[in-house]
Amino acid sequence: MSLIRWLSLPLLAMVVPAGFAVWAFPQGLSLARTAGIVAGWLGCGLLLVSLLLMVREVEVARWLGGLERMYRWHHRTGVVAYLALLAHPLLLAADGFAESPALAWQALAPVDESWPVWSGWLALILLMAGLTITFMRRLPYRAWRWLHAGLGVAVLFGLLHLVLLGIDEPVLPILAAAMLILAWRAMRDELGLAARPYIVESVRRVAAGTIEISLRPLATSLTAMPGQFVLVAFLTGANYRGCGEFHPFSVSSIDRNGVLRIGVKALGDCTRRMQSIQPGVPARVQGAFGSFLAGPPPASQLWVAGGIGVTPFIALLRAGGITSPTLLLYLYKTEAEAAFLAELRALAAETPFLTLQTVETGELLPDLERLLPDAHCLGCRDCYLCGPPELTAALKPALRKRGIAARRIHFENFDFR
Amino acid sequence: MMRNVYIAATAMFWAIVLAFWLSSAWMPQAGQPTGGPADRIISTTELARHASPASCWMAIRGDVYDLATYLPNHPSRPDIIEPWCGKDATWAYDTKTKGRPHSRTADELLAKYRIGKFSP
Repeated sequence: MSLIRWLSLPLLAMVVPAGFAVWAFPQGLSLARTAGIVAGWLGCGLLLVSLLLMVREVEVARWLGGLERMYRWHHRTGVVAYLALLAHPLLLAADGFAESPALAWQALAPVDESWPVWSGWLALILLMAGLTITFMRRLPYRAWRWLHAGLGVAVLFGLLHLVLLGIDEPVLPILAAAMLILAWRAMRDELGLAARPYIVESVRRVAAGTIEISLRPLATSLTAMPGQFVLVAFLTGANYRGCGEFHPFSVSSIDRNGVLRIGVKALGDCTRRMQSIQPGVPARVQGAFGSFLAGPPPASQLWVAGGIGVTPFIALLRAGGITSPTLLLYLYKTEAEAAFLAELRALAAETPFLTLQTVETGELLPDLERLLPDAHCLGCRDCYLCGPPELTAALKPALRKRGIAARRIHFENFDFR
Repeated sequence: MMRNVYIAATAMFWAIVLAFWLSSAWMPQAGQPTGGPADRIISTTELARHASPASCWMAIRGDVYDLATYLPNHPSRPDIIEPWCGKDATWAYDTKTKGRPHSRTADELLAKYRIGKFSP
């Protein structure tokens, strides 16, 4: 990633809130009151950046270093904004504490206040509730997604709080920008205006609980590379009722005629339903996103795949994309659940540079110290990891322990929560 | 890590809010506004001489307040409150020009700036 792209998100996250704070910096107030006002404006600026980073546009994602990176910064800016907004009322209350604890409490107590203060409290409580839901990983994805979207309402109440206080400049332009971003996201991404029409051409079972779906474009096909992922929403067909919501799927192959294939493992309600999908079901596809496996081909590589995480690697192998010695360490629970296993064995037999090592792990995380090649064998390999987050989290320190530099460990979490 | 930061910050926030409430309930009410002298009579003419942000007097509900030092702390933007300097601002104070009264906190804060009785 170029330096400009690498710096884009940290700069955005600093410049926008700092600009707000400088514009609104109060003169001649006490330290606590000044800090309280600045904290409020920093939180406001960070929330606006966080909103901007949830927009899913291929070109925007490319410029900002990828959709996954944008979402990571969306979370970071959201949480830091929350911290600043928690500090805002506390600092304003602290301003009155030296004079009287009662005065400090009255600055916080909503009982005696009116809508300008109530709207601020409502925004903070909604933000708190929305973040509680965001961190509830056991919540079904569909419910989680809608409840997470409720955070947008918290932002609108926060801006309303400023308008009701009489600070309509520059709040009205900020409110307009926030509403534009939310409307853009709703229309382009949730309603699918940014997606292209496809139709399910064929479905092939590649393991127990995993299918490969071929999607044929009904208009201009999108461009995708091995290692990228697309967002797909399956609609309702003759004998199939789609969830209608966009889910990320790794591309498993891209044909010259624009047909793209994706691997779908039954991991949740929606993907379980997809296991019974049939040809003819319409779909909308957005992307492609991500840069996993992109960049100049290194001298030699180690690929570690966990379960359905093998999909990007099979896409690259099908595209005939390896020109250097590559060891693919494929970890799966049981052989019956190992997607593309027979095809991988055939590819390994006919691809001179490819060495395939398969490991049936059962339910537990395998002993990586025993499985990974030793430091001498790893040499100057670049390592590409794709699998469940807990596997990636365990692999990174194990590889670092073997002397692999962080810049040579590549992974994408494919985690959109 | 973000999750842990969120949990710790939220717990700390409510602990501090609780501490503010407890200190308000239990600590002596030192420093409560006591009000200014009640005997000074201020006419409309004298009030009108203090119509700038640097010297801002307002008549509210029959009393006169010197609000020059308070103006920077007022939450709304200056052009909402400053035009009332040198005038009887009772209506503006009681309605915020939008039919909403000021809070009890504001009433208590206002008393601190009282300088006399208004004689229209």
